[in-house]
Amino acid sequence: MTIDLNPLSEAVIKGNIQAATQEAQKALDGGGDPQTILDQGLIAAMDIVGQRFAAGAMFVPQMLRSAKTMQACVALLKPAFQAGTVSSKGTVVMGTVKADLHDIGKNLVAMMLEGAGFTIIDMGVDVPPEAFVKTVSEKSPEILGMSALLSTTMPAMKATIDALKDAGLRDKVKVMIGGAPVTAKFAGEIGADRYAPDAGSAVAAAKELLQTS
Amino acid sequence: MDNLPIPTFQPRLKVLDHRQALAIHTAALEILEKTGIKMENDRARKLLVDAGAKPFDTDWLRIPAFLVEAALRSAPRQILLYDQNGDKAMALRDDHFFFGTGSDTTFTLDLESGQRRGCVLNDTGRFARLVDALPHFSFAMSMSNPQDIPKIEFIYVYTFAEMLRNTNKPIVFIADRLEDMRHIHELACMVAGGDAALRQKPFILNYSEAISPLRFPAHVVDRLMFCAEKEIPICLPSGSNAGGGAPVTLAGALALGIAENLAGLIIHQLTRRGAPFLFGPNVSVLDMKSTVVSYGCPEWSLTQAALADMRDEIYGLPIWSFGGATDAKVVDAQAGAEAMFSIVTAMLSRCNLIHDVGYLEYGSTSSLEMVTLADELIAMARHFLKGIPVNRETLALEALDRVKSAGTRGIFLTDDHTFEHFEEALFLPELLDRSRYDAWMAEGGQDLYRRSNAKARSLLETHRLEPEMDAGLNDEIEALLQRI
Repeated sequence: MTIDLNPLSEAVIKGNIQAATQEAQKALDGGGDPQTILDQGLIAAMDIVGQRFAAGAMFVPQMLRSAKTMQACVALLKPAFQAGTVSSKGTVVMGTVKADLHDIGKNLVAMMLEGAGFTIIDMGVDVPPEAFVKTVSEKSPEILGMSALLSTTMPAMKATIDALKDAGLRDKVKVMIGGAPVTAKFAGEIGADRYAPDAGSAVAAAKELLQTS
Repeated sequence: MDNLPIPTFQPRLKVLDHRQALAIHTAALEILEKTGIKMENDRARKLLVDAGAKPFDTDWLRIPAFLVEAALRSAPRQILLYDQNGDKAMALRDDHFFFGTGSDTTFTLDLESGQRRGCVLNDTGRFARLVDALPHFSFAMSMSNPQDIPKIEFIYVYTFAEMLRNTNKPIVFIADRLEDMRHIHELACMVAGGDAALRQKPFILNYSEAISPLRFPAHVVDRLMFCAEKEIPICLPSGSNAGGGAPVTLAGALALGIAENLAGLIIHQLTRRGAPFLFGPNVSVLDMKSTVVSYGCPEWSLTQAALADMRDEIYGLPIWSFGGATDAKVVDAQAGAEAMFSIVTAMLSRCNLIHDVGYLEYGSTSSLEMVTLADELIAMARHFLKGIPVNRETLALEALDRVKSAGTRGIFLTDDHTFEHFEEALFLPELLDRSRYDAWMAEGGQDLYRRSNAKARSLLETHRLEPEMDAGLNDEIEALLQRI
């Protein structure tokens, strides 16, 4: 039985939480497969949102509203999944580095990644290398994302990568970095896997790193 | 008997009336009294609670309005900044305005290649020296976050020392840790001739920031209290940017930024009554496509014009402001347009200390060319601000009689009156080009960016400080840098 997921996708793109949750519930009640609703109704919609945003046709508050709409639908879908059968694109641990308290950029990246189907573990701000290592060791994420706004806190990114090496974890996780003073050159110098200049390209980079679409 | 001269009205911009100002101010008070602030500094929290603030949750305080009023009353209405020779340089008060550069940019436009590259310490020196040379710049800031510092954790001490060596004008500096502040204070005392001399004739001002919304990190407040104790003038603008750390509607962003600023002022005045505090938040906007904090937007000009009006209506304290900056990545038409917009409005509103002149790329890149051309933009705006003096000489009726008598050959260009008055009456541009096309082509057909580049190079080559730093003092400074 095929369920028309277009109304759901449209509602997500428009950021209409009420309509979207209604459509998601309708799809579930109609016997729709939760993973299909997630992939084709929600993530596909967020992909379009991402493209429109990259093209300058949508603004950040609208993109965030779409992400919020998607999350409301995901909350509806969760009980319908059997334990352990929700497949996400991967887990990303995110944090702003030690001595740095800025997080708007990191939060936007986290929301965009979530919208794209990744699972996010947000460690907040002022995260020392040891804390990153501990979480990577415990949660085995596919990606570690670090953010810094101050050029004086950027060295903590290198310290974290070195700490991962010391703990024997460096080759178990991909490292992405970003933030106003960060550059691709710096990423190369400290041995990070990728640098992304903004939230949109961070999603593309994450997909590319994990070779997923 | 001659009648009294007609005073010349000087154009002034007003963007807010008394009722708006009062509504924003009372909203700020309500934020302090009902919402509260997060005070992560133990010493300051105790100071506030002892004075009457009410603690709740972890680190949160509600601050009663009477503390605001007391602080506004004890803070000085005039902050005098001197230059490094001990002469009065900037009287920060009511309608006096002063322009200067901005703080740490990660990148700079290379003067020789035009490339955008990471900053080095030499850039800090060059920007300071250029400010020293340009007549419409009153103070220097680092315009760089140099990457080639031997001990990177002391970056702010090194940049401060580099500015000392390359300008005698006042310096607005930033610091991170209390340790940085102590070293910078020590350096400033070397120049001024001791702590007492520095208090008497401060040539420095610290720029620190609380974090919107409502957050006061411990180390930021340490710096605030240090400056109060040492009577180092300080500003504590939070970046209450519309749509980011503050509401997207400007009245709300202003109210929040002002509330945060008042909280800082209270701590400052409780620490040392009467210490100098430069008032005001940075209220720009978060760009809704790129999420950068915009340095070219009209909103920031509007909010600081509003702040200037609120200064005149309510606060009475001199204010921290910005101007002459852009979101453009290169020195192009956008850069010129945005820089001129904020220069003109800042001047028309009589903002007091106007920083960030010469910024490209929303503060990520600095440009010596931008600084150089902005000097002329400021001069142009200044000329407008002088208004139109109306008196017998300027009405020039006698000159008209002469030209009339000269018949068909009569023209003002050749008249004595023009010779006597043209330098005062007219704005005479240097960088802004008005030449005829062929003449312009003969000179190489250069745009403003290239012409500014040439002027910047020339100034950097020829300008000498008056005086250049004394060798003994330079050694003392170097000794401190080696020691830390």
